[in-house]
Amino acid sequence: MYTLLSGFYKYMCQRDQYFVLILGLDNAGKTTFLEQTKTKFNKNYQGMNLAKITSTVGLNIGKIDVGTSRLNFWDLGGQEELQSLWDKYYVESHAVIYIVDSSDRERVEESKEAFEKMVMNDNLAGVPLMLLANKQDLEGCLKVTEVKTIFNDPLQVMGQRESWVQGVSALKGDGVQEGIDWLVEAIKRNSSSRPPQQKEIT
Amino acid sequence: MGGLLSYFSALFGSKERRILILGLDGAGKTTILYRLQVGEVVTTIPTIGFNVETVTYKNLKFQVWDLGGQTSIRPYWRCYYSNTDAIIYVVDSMDRDRIGISKQELVSMLEEDELKKSVLVVFANKQDIEGAMTVTEVANSLGLPALKNRKYQIFKTSAIKGEGLDEAMEWLTNTLVQAK
Repeated sequence: MYTLLSGFYKYMCQRDQYFVLILGLDNAGKTTFLEQTKTKFNKNYQGMNLAKITSTVGLNIGKIDVGTSRLNFWDLGGQEELQSLWDKYYVESHAVIYIVDSSDRERVEESKEAFEKMVMNDNLAGVPLMLLANKQDLEGCLKVTEVKTIFNDPLQVMGQRESWVQGVSALKGDGVQEGIDWLVEAIKRNSSSRPPQQKEIT
Repeated sequence: MGGLLSYFSALFGSKERRILILGLDGAGKTTILYRLQVGEVVTTIPTIGFNVETVTYKNLKFQVWDLGGQTSIRPYWRCYYSNTDAIIYVVDSMDRDRIGISKQELVSMLEEDELKKSVLVVFANKQDIEGAMTVTEVANSLGLPALKNRKYQIFKTSAIKGEGLDEAMEWLTNTLVQAK
């Protein structure tokens, strides 16, 4: 009887844990996106002052609960030198969010190259991928369709996986909810090949 | 309203944030501490024991502990772990021979329960010397990519020249204001 009850308790309190990697060039808005997501999904979360976010040289973490799933985010530094650290996280990731600064036309090629390198990595094969065209609030930025066109080639070659392109403004919070909603569903659909970790919520 | 009040109390609050400066001997911990406190380079001798100072940065008070880094006194670091908000881990970016030892100390330190919630800031110090390790080298040598549950940030610093310290304090201030 005890086993039954404790098993039931465990079942009720168990959450599927997923890990999501946030990548992109420096100054794309990865940390801002993470903070915005945490603010939107966690009640009483007092976010960082978005204006004071500086460039990340290291790792930021965050977690949100959506239904019975818990998403853990890894937000890595995007400077060229730091990109060599990205692949250390690939094996354990259940999804990747790649963020592009749509207002920075000069570096969009560079961003595409980093993106290409990332999607070709075998350790990420089949992992759902969300491409965020960020900074849509800025005037004169690349439209979502333009970003889609630019990233079309790598999106073609990346093999069997789910992908999604979404326009967002991390600063204003537009598009964040839609993006995360898609991401959660995509991760769940892919969970047969990348199963979640089970963990009790504390 | 309550949120606003707590925001202000966090900003001007009486509660000091507790920071530990750790790292191998000769990394530059004491020089960093006094750079932060008085803004000058002081002549230091190897610390046996600890130095503790209060550093105020943008209305936030930090109680900064600089613990001696020699092999024989490293076991005593753990006595200071409780209630630590942030760890500044100082690495001598020129000392490639001992970075492995530095890694071991860091890894065993981060396993401690008392430090589970502390933020990690790595100072890749002595960047004024040519041939110093890059941020990526330091990150890899310290095994930082293996940290998956902890926020961390690396700063290139030169305690002698005072470079990188302001950025680091700014970052710490923002991070710790938020964490309370």
